[in-house]
Amino acid sequence: MVGKKGVPDWLNSPLWSSHPSDARYATKTPSPDPPPRPPPPPSDPSPPPPPPPPLPEATREEPSLSRVPPEEDSLQSQLLTEFKLTLSKKVINLGELRRLTCQGIPDGAGIRPTVWKLLLGYLPHDRTLWAHELDKKRSQYNAFKDELLLNPSEITRRLEESAGSKTEEFNCKGSGLLQRSEITDGEHPLSLGKTSIWNQYFQDTEIIEQIDRDVKRTHPDMLFFSGDSSFAKSNQEALRRILTVFAKLNPGIRYVQGMNEVLAPLFYVLRNDPDENNAVYAEADTFFCFVELLSGFRDNFCKQLDNSVVGIRSTIAKLSQLLKRHDEELWRHLEVTTKVNPQFYAFRWITLLLTQEFSFTDCLLIWDTLLGDPEGLQETLLRICCAMLILVRRRLLAGDFTANLKLLQNYPTTNISHLLHVANKLRGPMAS
Amino acid sequence: MVLVLALGDLHIPHRAPDLPAKFKSMLVPGKIQHIICTGNLCIKEVHDYLKSLCPDLHVTRGEYDEDTRYPETKTLTIGQFKLGLCHGHQIIPWGDLDSLAMLQRQLDVDILVTGHTHQFKAYKHEGGVVINPGSATGAYSSITYDVNPSFVLMDIDSLRVVVYVYELIDGEVKVDKIDFKKTATANASQ
Repeated sequence: MVGKKGVPDWLNSPLWSSHPSDARYATKTPSPDPPPRPPPPPSDPSPPPPPPPPLPEATREEPSLSRVPPEEDSLQSQLLTEFKLTLSKKVINLGELRRLTCQGIPDGAGIRPTVWKLLLGYLPHDRTLWAHELDKKRSQYNAFKDELLLNPSEITRRLEESAGSKTEEFNCKGSGLLQRSEITDGEHPLSLGKTSIWNQYFQDTEIIEQIDRDVKRTHPDMLFFSGDSSFAKSNQEALRRILTVFAKLNPGIRYVQGMNEVLAPLFYVLRNDPDENNAVYAEADTFFCFVELLSGFRDNFCKQLDNSVVGIRSTIAKLSQLLKRHDEELWRHLEVTTKVNPQFYAFRWITLLLTQEFSFTDCLLIWDTLLGDPEGLQETLLRICCAMLILVRRRLLAGDFTANLKLLQNYPTTNISHLLHVANKLRGPMAS
Repeated sequence: MVLVLALGDLHIPHRAPDLPAKFKSMLVPGKIQHIICTGNLCIKEVHDYLKSLCPDLHVTRGEYDEDTRYPETKTLTIGQFKLGLCHGHQIIPWGDLDSLAMLQRQLDVDILVTGHTHQFKAYKHEGGVVINPGSATGAYSSITYDVNPSFVLMDIDSLRVVVYVYELIDGEVKVDKIDFKKTATANASQ
């Protein structure tokens, strides 16, 4: 029997039960882009909130729109129109863009790549600077690849060619002793010197192998990432190169298992940009977006920082506190009574940005909010995790250690807009 | 980029107890893809040690090898190059470059690796290149006592080979290299 003590009333509203009737994110055929039209009169049997008023072009005052609208298509198309309007401006209003993104980027319109690039700060606000920025970044990435992805054999060959030394021709006439020449900088394959390119190469092989293994295992169920097609193979190669370049440029954290999972949705979205001019450079663009994305929470990947104030343990502790604040009963039941240590489930939720907990398409929607919310990635992520716990509170409160752990490590399919709305409500310093 | 270690004439335990320490510290597993050994290891322990450095080991028989099953000659293809292996005590006069060139033409290889003289040599003729990695332990030979330990590491990269020569002179490891490539037209049979 679920007690009502200490739980805010709105949580117990039947609206948040596990099978909501709204079908906002149910599968539907992508709506074509109609011109804005006034919403049709409500025909459904009474849903609790009244239908939204016709939208003016300017911003609305009420940011948190009810997420259970009856005329779903029209809302989607209106949202799309607003997006297009915001994106068409010469100087993009990021605040406005964030507000729109938190409602979920409409599928099928191909604007997600651009929106994500703006939110991650890859594209500047001023549209006129885009071409220049993109050019600069893309050639920078090519330079990285050139510098970092060569094996030592190729590096030495290039150095020698530029130094103009001659190589003996094998098949030319004449015979005689082959001349021995000095090696440059003491570089030879068996060198154990710390600065030796050969030594560094061999030390990196372990990382390279790990990256290779993980890339092959990424989303084996998706044709984009896996399988024998040359498309999948080239995508895997791109992922591999991005992670290798990142590892070499960041000797502090190198590569940690799981980074491939965080990279995958980014690359997927950018590679599927309907604008071919962008899709072709998806690898370079993804690299910088990945760096940006990771910069906020790379401390979570650093083993040495685990126990520090910025490490993963402290982040998980924040989640714990958040839960305690909003739903003390559930918190007590989970952590004290059934002793489900949040590290058992929240570790993967947080470090992998929920990519493992939901389907790929749901994940993209969650990432819209994660990237778009002005509160920042970590805060938003923690709120969503807290909402995930609250949404299944009935099952958790009824379960013991095993049942709860099983549930949280295999989080059930949920209505995402529902989840995001609950997360939204958890905003603010003190919920009453 | 394929790394091939060529060495031989260790004569362990009869003429030398072990490889020099400075060589041993450099030869670690995981870096080398193939090992070709001219022969005269002489015992199984040396074979096992080499096998631990790299699973792809090729050995030809030297006159003092205790394992009689090694072949007299061996050929293998690595990348674009055909390599031949023979200890060399069978080729008379020992170390004679013209006679070795004849063997090379018989085996039809680009690079012939041979030993027995315990002296490093790298020689080019119309048929190809002959490389003698010397003795990896510095064991005395049938000809001379004055032997510096040496071995060879080849970096084969498509049509180009860089031969790194490792020699222990006065207790210090000296490394030199030899660079050569072959033209694609020479490879008529694809």
